[in-house]
Amino acid sequence: MSTRVRNRIGAEEKLERYRDQLTREDLLEIYRRMWFARVFDETLYDMKKKGRLRRGNVYGSRGQEAIQVGTSYPLRPTDFVSPIHRDMPIFVFKGMSTRQVMCQIWGKANAPTRGKDSWSHMGDLKLGIIHSTSMLGSTIPVACGVAWALRLDGKTDSVVMTYLGEGATATGAFHEGMNYAAVHKLPIILIVENNQYAYSTPVELEVPTPRVADRALGYGIPGYSVDGNDVLEVYDATCAAIAHARAGRGPSIVECVTYRLQGHADHDETRARQYRPVEEIEMWEKRDPLPRYREYLLSTGLFSEEDLPTPPPEVVAEIHDAVEYAIHSPDPEPHTALEDIYDESAGVSR
Amino acid sequence: MREVTFLEAIRAALWEEMERDPNVFLIGEDIGRLGGAFGVTHGFLERFGADRVVDAPISETAIIGVAVGAAAMGKRPVAEMQFMDFISCGFDQVVNVAATYRYRSGGSVSLPMVIRGPSGGYVGGSLYHSQQFEAWFFHVPGLKVVQPAFPDDAYGLMKAAIRDNNPVLFFEHKYLYRRIKGLIPQSSDDFIVPLGEARIRRPGQHITVVTYGAMVHFALDAAHQLEAEGISLEVIDLRTIKPLDMETVYNSVRKTSKVLIVYEAPLTGGVGAEIAARIAEHLFEWLDAPIMRVAAKDSFVPFAEPLEKFVLPSVDDIVLAARQLARY
Repeated sequence: MSTRVRNRIGAEEKLERYRDQLTREDLLEIYRRMWFARVFDETLYDMKKKGRLRRGNVYGSRGQEAIQVGTSYPLRPTDFVSPIHRDMPIFVFKGMSTRQVMCQIWGKANAPTRGKDSWSHMGDLKLGIIHSTSMLGSTIPVACGVAWALRLDGKTDSVVMTYLGEGATATGAFHEGMNYAAVHKLPIILIVENNQYAYSTPVELEVPTPRVADRALGYGIPGYSVDGNDVLEVYDATCAAIAHARAGRGPSIVECVTYRLQGHADHDETRARQYRPVEEIEMWEKRDPLPRYREYLLSTGLFSEEDLPTPPPEVVAEIHDAVEYAIHSPDPEPHTALEDIYDESAGVSR
Repeated sequence: MREVTFLEAIRAALWEEMERDPNVFLIGEDIGRLGGAFGVTHGFLERFGADRVVDAPISETAIIGVAVGAAAMGKRPVAEMQFMDFISCGFDQVVNVAATYRYRSGGSVSLPMVIRGPSGGYVGGSLYHSQQFEAWFFHVPGLKVVQPAFPDDAYGLMKAAIRDNNPVLFFEHKYLYRRIKGLIPQSSDDFIVPLGEARIRRPGQHITVVTYGAMVHFALDAAHQLEAEGISLEVIDLRTIKPLDMETVYNSVRKTSKVLIVYEAPLTGGVGAEIAARIAEHLFEWLDAPIMRVAAKDSFVPFAEPLEKFVLPSVDDIVLAARQLARY
């Protein structure tokens, strides 16, 4: 077994490959979602800059939209995900409203956490979204537990997709979780967003192998390494991993190679241009997944320039509506800080 | 009623809860084929199968993490730490992931899970098979912490812990496993000991002894010895350390006006410090003597017998401290 590196597929071959799987509407929806992610990111940076978002950090995902969209698009409502801090749009793709997500970011009383935690640390198990924490890697064992519950309930058709940066593959929780998943053939799909930097630390100081997906070799599971800036390649590898999991054959690692175009968070923009070569940033700017996908869509002959606005106006409207909704939502009452520590209801007695 | 050992009481509670509720499952190291290092889960694999009696890899983080994920989904996992000392390897999952889950879900997720395992010294277990780590978790909101001293409490508290909707840490003192016997109800009676209720194991007049775990037995021995000297100890077995039943403690202190707190963990920063602080804050004018503590010396639990004896609290330590208090 070896890491499967997906090389760039030619446009014609690509069209052939996806004609059966993805309709014209799918291709357009993927385009719309990538723009949703881009506008989401730009809007929050803008809100922070203007002082309308006064608390918390904005963790940008500019340049990583192909991963957010390509990995989540093949999921079913009965599947589970645990997005991380650079995957905010996935909450929406998995069924949470854009308004709810913005309320979470603004720490409002009507947010999923009622203002208790910020940003991506939220979930909704009814929608199949597992709550993650700041300890990246620690959600993998939790995802295994979700998969175990599905197994006990005989729901063997659902998969659990969990996300990490390349840096978090250096944690002990990563190893224990992936080892457990592999030993028990759990339907886990680990998406590694290899954006080259864990805060300031480059990938070569986090991972000793040429590819992060090589870590899969140690667990005897499939490891894919794909161009993370090509949404259809990401989609393709994810579909393979999902099919493997649904067939009861166990977990896979899908490494999506990309680049963090911004700093670690909004507070890091200046330093992020000091600890990284500017030429490197400029080189990756040219690989921006959005124009690349648009170019591809035009090359298929299925779309005109007018079909593909940059950005689609309804996406902008939805995000701006959600921001205003959040800003005008009520703040939590101070005393609610002491609620939700324990479940005071009587335990279940069958 | 049935007469069982402390260990058998725990086994009976686990078995009956697994029979009662298909959502209950066990996960831990060597709990299936071996039946557990101490034999607590002997015979469970054959009865309940490998999906509900999971022989996990040596991965405390994964064991506790799997319990967290499954509990969030509505299962009632019971995770075994082969020795409670090893919970340090899964510390993040306990304090950052499990304890906070309900809070960061805005109250929408319950986490009904138990982490149980043998703890404590007096068996020559040395540094990593003897510790009492309850104070680490006593400090963390969102968790409950239990340590029974008698078979009936172990039985009833384990059932309550499994049915509780919060993460519960269940410390089983290995010194008691086979030494202590007692009566427990028939399995047909639905017997529960509610979490958060202390029990006066021996009523007395002169000194309130607040303790839990194996130290309850030491305190009862000391009370027996001191009876001849005319010193009467009231021994309170906390049973649940978090949440603390301070009402039972306060009522006793209002009667005796003297307090001795006994615990097996190192003295500094132990559970006894919090109990002492609360008594001092609430009942200062009722006290006739300083609040005293008997605990382990601020050391690790060493291997050689003279060393272990020197570090861990003894019946004699309790007797000496009680005499000192009686003189006030």
